[in-house]
Amino acid sequence: MLFEIVLNGLLLGGLYTLMGTGFSLQWGISGIINLAYGGMMVLGGYIAFALHRFINLQPIISTIPAAIVLFFFGLLVYNYLLRPTIKKGSFFVTVIMTFAVELVIENFMLLVWASDYRIITSPYSSIGFDIAGFHLPLIKALIFGLSMLCVFLVYWFMNKTKTGKSIQASALNPAGARFIGINVEKMYMYNFGIGCAIAAVAGALASNINAFSVVLTGGLLGKVFVITVLGGLGNIWGAALGGITLGLVESIGTITVGPEYNEAVGLIVMVIVLVFRPRGLIGKKFWDV
Amino acid sequence: MLLVLFLVLIVLPFILSGYWIRLITMVFMFAVIAKSIDLMMGYLGYVPFGNVVFFGLGAYSAGIGMSHGLPFIVAMLLGILVSAVVCILFGTPVLRLRGHYFAVASIGLNGALMAIALNATGLTGGAMGIIFPVISLPPDMINKVFYFSMMLLMLLAIGINVLIIRSRIGFAIRSIKSNEDAARSLGVNTTFYKTATWVISASLTSIAGAVYGYWMSYISTVDVFNVMVSVTSILMVLLGGVGTILGPILGAGIFQVLSEVIWSQFLELHSGILGVITILVILFLPRGVLTGLREMFQARALSRKAVKTNE
Repeated sequence: MLFEIVLNGLLLGGLYTLMGTGFSLQWGISGIINLAYGGMMVLGGYIAFALHRFINLQPIISTIPAAIVLFFFGLLVYNYLLRPTIKKGSFFVTVIMTFAVELVIENFMLLVWASDYRIITSPYSSIGFDIAGFHLPLIKALIFGLSMLCVFLVYWFMNKTKTGKSIQASALNPAGARFIGINVEKMYMYNFGIGCAIAAVAGALASNINAFSVVLTGGLLGKVFVITVLGGLGNIWGAALGGITLGLVESIGTITVGPEYNEAVGLIVMVIVLVFRPRGLIGKKFWDV
Repeated sequence: MLLVLFLVLIVLPFILSGYWIRLITMVFMFAVIAKSIDLMMGYLGYVPFGNVVFFGLGAYSAGIGMSHGLPFIVAMLLGILVSAVVCILFGTPVLRLRGHYFAVASIGLNGALMAIALNATGLTGGAMGIIFPVISLPPDMINKVFYFSMMLLMLLAIGINVLIIRSRIGFAIRSIKSNEDAARSLGVNTTFYKTATWVISASLTSIAGAVYGYWMSYISTVDVFNVMVSVTSILMVLLGGVGTILGPILGAGIFQVLSEVIWSQFLELHSGILGVITILVILFLPRGVLTGLREMFQARALSRKAVKTNE
């Protein structure tokens, strides 16, 4: 029983880590609280779903085009909507701007796909194996593995490539980064795009195990908030800690008080953490918060 | 000018149809919510994205109180008390932080309390919502009663706003907005003033929630804890002019009428069009209609002066 709870929590936590990573990057480095994140996740899910349904692409492979589409969408949004807003106004105006983007995305998805729940049924969704008397579906393990792979790729990109290091430098000290010839604005833009691509990947992967719909965007955003705030901003370890904590909390909550309380339990844990450790469990003063 | 407007607003409900009276009452209500958000956002510099939580708390406290036989005024005061307690308990730690975290934390608070209200079926009726006692008045009369109550509440919000910016607390919060560290080093108790402002903002919002609940006679969690309410109110503040006394009210009027028109003309595209309008407002009218107009007049006056001195 305990083993089952922990395993379920960890599996869920892997996906949550990926979800939190994108949001945390956007918030911690570009300084944008992206209220369109939930919408972008569902959009990623829909793109993967449509590719799987109409050109019969493998659901796992169809996450790649979803990520590419959302990456360029993110670049456009940053360049034409967010950048001018940051120049003119204070930070909350950019938050409202992302909310406006969310409204447009939601309306678009509602027109194209309506609000029905959909799920990607992959050819291997019925395969599974047993460990210690507990049935583990292959797809869940696969999604966990892929999420971890993506998180690792982002980690590698941020710490080992020149662009990634430039992005981090731009966040830590914009003036200094500019001084040594880094195009700071461009780095923020790339970073925002990467965040959107991660949202799409997370959404597309999640659509393999959970039904999704336009009406879920708010709930997804709530989860992402919880993950990011629990762990602390601006680094992947924070997102991982937050993601796994939320996964475990939800997994325990599902067994003890029932799945309908999941959202409440997560948010209540977040509020408690905020009251006692306002910067998150391992948060540090990274961005001006 | 303002006096004429005031008289017009008093006469209006006696000539207009019920539909328009309800629409204007809605404008008054959003004006109150926008005004109390502007108190935090325009004067203090903290954006309470989850301020709708007090709208919900006010509505639910009034509903629960009245279904236990309390008169409306007492139930409403109960709502204010609940909101103030939540503000102090939650605001004191979280308002130590700067804007970003506060914004997200307030949304989280709203989500958590909404989920509690949705699940504590014994107290709140859960997903079934709460039904208020029926008001034994003809519908025409009810419209007028709530029209004037909301108008009174809006005037109260304006009055409190004027009082605050002229008083000590007004100076304190504006000093916090311009430079919090400097304010603290000069001996301003920043956390206290921030929490106090939030309590005032929350109380006004919670009264609006209580009146709204009684007016609609039925409330549900998705209705009164909807983050859309605070986000549209923030948009109204932006539209009218941040940190101005009448800006949020003007913004509420423009937005509500616009939203109504879009709603009736393009039902399917409603949220998309609102999104596009928001984007356009932020890009092209970043400081609101009122500030924009004022700057236009000032520029014209200046250029006239410049012409005169040249002659």
